[in-house]
Amino acid sequence: MEPLEGTKSDSDHAPDQEPLPSNSASNCSQLTLKLEFSSKVVEHEYIVAFTGYFSAKARSLYISSALRNAADRALEWHVVPRENPASDFPSDFELVHIRQASARSLLTLEDHPYIKRVTPQRKVFRSLKYIPSPEAAAPCNATRGTQKWQSWQSSRPFRRTSLSLGAGFWHATGRHSSRRLLRAIPRHVAQILQADVLWQMGHTGSGVKVAVFDTGLSEKHPHFKNVKERTNWTNEKTLDDGLGHGTFVAGVIASMRECQGFAPDSELHIFRVFTNNQVHDGKIEIKQITDGNFNEQGSHRVGKVWELTANRVIMVSAIGNDGPLYGTLNNPADQMDVIGVGGIDFEDNIARFSSRGMTTWELPGGYGRVKPDIVTYGSGVRGSGMKEGCRSLSGTSVASPVVAGAVTLLASTVLNRELVNPASMKQALIASARRLPGVNMFEQGHGKLDLIRAYQILNSYRPQASLSPSYIDLTECPYMWPYCSQPIYYGGMPTIVNVTILNGMGVTGRIIDKPVWQPYLPQNGDHMDVAVSYSPVLWPWAGYLAVSISVAKKAASWEGIAQGHVMVTVASPAENDSEVGGELTSTVKLPIKVKIVPTPPRSKRVLWDQYHNLRYPPGYFPRDNLRMKNDPLDWNGDHIHTNFRDMYQHLRSMGYFVEVLGAPITCFDASQYGTLLMVDSEEEYFPEEITKLRRDIDNGLSLIIFSDWYNTSVMRKVKFYDENTRQWWMPDTGGANVPALNDLISVWGMAFSDGLYEGDFTLADHDMYYASGCSIARFPEDGIVIAKNLKDQGTPPPQNTPHLLKKGRKRERKKEGRERRREKERKKGGRKEERKEEEGKDKPPSLSCVFLPCRSFHSFTCVCGLVCVCGLVCVCGLVCVWFSVCVWFSVCGLVCVCVV
Amino acid sequence: MMVLRRLLRKRWVLGVVFGLSLIYFLTSTLKQEERTIRDRTLLEVRDPDHRIPWKVRFNLGNSSRQITQCRNSIQGKTLLTDELGYVCERKDLLVNGCCNINAPSTRQYICKSCLANGCCSIYEYCVSCCLQPDKQPLLERFLNRAAEGFQNLFTAVEDHFELCLAKCRTSSQSVQHENTYRNPQAKYCYGESPPELLPV
Repeated sequence: MEPLEGTKSDSDHAPDQEPLPSNSASNCSQLTLKLEFSSKVVEHEYIVAFTGYFSAKARSLYISSALRNAADRALEWHVVPRENPASDFPSDFELVHIRQASARSLLTLEDHPYIKRVTPQRKVFRSLKYIPSPEAAAPCNATRGTQKWQSWQSSRPFRRTSLSLGAGFWHATGRHSSRRLLRAIPRHVAQILQADVLWQMGHTGSGVKVAVFDTGLSEKHPHFKNVKERTNWTNEKTLDDGLGHGTFVAGVIASMRECQGFAPDSELHIFRVFTNNQVHDGKIEIKQITDGNFNEQGSHRVGKVWELTANRVIMVSAIGNDGPLYGTLNNPADQMDVIGVGGIDFEDNIARFSSRGMTTWELPGGYGRVKPDIVTYGSGVRGSGMKEGCRSLSGTSVASPVVAGAVTLLASTVLNRELVNPASMKQALIASARRLPGVNMFEQGHGKLDLIRAYQILNSYRPQASLSPSYIDLTECPYMWPYCSQPIYYGGMPTIVNVTILNGMGVTGRIIDKPVWQPYLPQNGDHMDVAVSYSPVLWPWAGYLAVSISVAKKAASWEGIAQGHVMVTVASPAENDSEVGGELTSTVKLPIKVKIVPTPPRSKRVLWDQYHNLRYPPGYFPRDNLRMKNDPLDWNGDHIHTNFRDMYQHLRSMGYFVEVLGAPITCFDASQYGTLLMVDSEEEYFPEEITKLRRDIDNGLSLIIFSDWYNTSVMRKVKFYDENTRQWWMPDTGGANVPALNDLISVWGMAFSDGLYEGDFTLADHDMYYASGCSIARFPEDGIVIAKNLKDQGTPPPQNTPHLLKKGRKRERKKEGRERRREKERKKGGRKEERKEEEGKDKPPSLSCVFLPCRSFHSFTCVCGLVCVCGLVCVCGLVCVWFSVCVWFSVCGLVCVCVV
Repeated sequence: MMVLRRLLRKRWVLGVVFGLSLIYFLTSTLKQEERTIRDRTLLEVRDPDHRIPWKVRFNLGNSSRQITQCRNSIQGKTLLTDELGYVCERKDLLVNGCCNINAPSTRQYICKSCLANGCCSIYEYCVSCCLQPDKQPLLERFLNRAAEGFQNLFTAVEDHFELCLAKCRTSSQSVQHENTYRNPQAKYCYGESPPELLPV
């Protein structure tokens, strides 16, 4: 579980509380700020720009030498002195005062090889005027008509910046990308996000309770003044933080000195739920508490999070540190009712480690939701040290307390705390977020946290429903990647956009009157067909609205842009309504814009088989690459838009159109497609599917299969003991379900073997690495095989006859799956050790010994695991056969002796 | 390096290394065991004499008591339970947080979906059932005995309603192997025992 920070607004807040002692005018934004600019030329002064950076002396030398060549030698000039510390450093411009400068003398200046240009110096004047706004008379909480800040309908990139409150320099996203002032960036994250503006108004988080679920907090830490409660929920008998992670997180939220947190007056409730062992130090990564039941309905953890948010606890959680791979989102941050936070660095790049990609619950039939919700600074952020002082850390679990702190501070600014709930807070955060240029929505969500704008939105908030994303523009690149990367056409699989409905009106709600599709006829809206499906009940605070877009038959050979919108009305019981049974309703509009092209020829259409790629593994699937021992479980479902996105991009760039098949093979019209693509499929095939595929191929469909390894003895060896469930886990298949694939292809006289090979090869000048995989056991005589001998990784004695394996027992599988947090450390050690073992293997039965330092207790990649995986007989002394004893060994930090 | 490797292949070197490891392993395991025992006794010493000062005040079953504001169970998808034990649909909730007792579907102290062992499939019914005045002895017994493991939680509870809200929630007792519900059909329990483990 990622560290969670929840905030709960104090619900017994007196409704008639006096306005805060701060300037209430700025609170209610009754004053309008008017800005005016004017500029004028400063006489006799010119900016001389150089081609590079030069010292003051060199610059003066260049100018004088340039002016020496000028015709009128009597030119009077001097360099306007600079009086700042920066003048000691080289610069690329100089301000020169030239009396009676003629156009010609300026041109001579520009002739100098080191002078780029000469421009007149200008002065800019900005005047600020505060004008009482027309609605100034209205009290803060009075109805000003429902303000619909989500109803922006244009699909142009949203990069509006006003110079009023909230447009801080550091918020300017991407416009300073050419000149980054790295050194000057302050690392105090609360100040960068302009929390001081809210502090000056008197908001410091008072009256808001924050719970931090992490590694605890020491009792007398000097940074905290309002720790209300500390409890321990681990088996370690301490309340103190032995690692510093929990202290850091609490510090970012509520530290009051040195490295300031966002809300120093908030009430802290510290829950120590992770032991020192469960957190991997230095990587700021909370180990996943493994959780077997991965569907949204069944998991007890999902249920617990629902329970929390349904009780109005706003939950903020880190999206995970498994980037840059796609489809690596972590629970609970990927839930609709949770604010999932990704990390960026101080230069507004998505942090490499930040998990990304769509959610994978919905596969294979549907399409994932957009997550993370927002991103904020998560790299090199400074926060409280374990005992005192400050330290800097990186990780999405650093970014999530930044948002949790901001949420705490925001909640304390709202007078009517009834209005603050998980949905309204999330609505305010995502509506105010600043979009980062050049980053798609599956990486940045709605963009970068903007505290001040969120404050403005939250303080004019009326309960309403909103959508995330708030519009569908399949032409907008790169924000709407992968949608924007491929136009839609008649006959293609419908494009599904999974929109989340956030309902700020109440914890429960429903969609009344079916959503209405309204095509814009002048904008060719009738060229597309739109169907929707949606959650029957929006609980807690959210639900889905899946929009499936396809092209109408009449547009089969039409090319152009089509537009329209879907209207949705959400109703919630009105709890503060005196009339019993009253309802609040809110109508939202979802604009849709798509690009339609004529249906491409069959040969250009590729179909990716998603149906046989299992989504969240309900069983234990080992990695496709057996070398990745630190993280042997494959918990990222495969999808062409997530972990296979490079393949997708390559196919697209070669002019192919890639569609996704989320249904059995019997459910598509093969005469429309050139190729069916099966990559690492784990699921079995129905007999009907096999029959149909055979017929399709006779009718000209091509089939590309990427298989993987499948070896029962290796599978037996990669089984592992899980400390949480106290049971052994056997993989359900190898990297791919080769027996099932063999069933599928046997009719053409082909079969894969159960061997295990690895090695490098070169194909068409591309150097490739074959990580772990099987070989071709049987192929028709007249077929073309491009072969290469690779290194045998396998352990089983080579079988003389290529034999077909027994069918896997996928369907009878009873155990629900495992999910394991991958550890990203790619330790060189792992490989080195393995090579040693292989050397030893050459000369059995001589004794060889490998000393392997046990690295981590909780990941089962303890040494014995490693050795077992390599398929060598692992006997750690006498006791290592019993796995848990081996675990003991590793705990002691002892070297483990393995006799091979 | 080669010398070292050859040395390591000698049986006696291996034997010595293994022996040392075994000794270290055994001693540290024993030490660990000692420590856990000490911790456990520490916990025991604290508990038996010193009873936890429960703050819980119980309802006297006097539901006719006039009340102007109700707390309720807040979270429900369709149902809510108020502190008087009434279960009603969300639309029948009054402004003061109480259920509208005149609504046709509102019921008090209802144990619908609850099994004999005190586990229910719907949270709101569990709370309502737990609020029955005759459940007081059961709850008191629980507080005095079973709740020791949940001190953190139950010392914060102030009255019967809060106790029922907390008691009916799922906890680590409701799950098997920390990853599946013991009984997904009836996981909300007001009784003393955890849900019965369903055979897989």
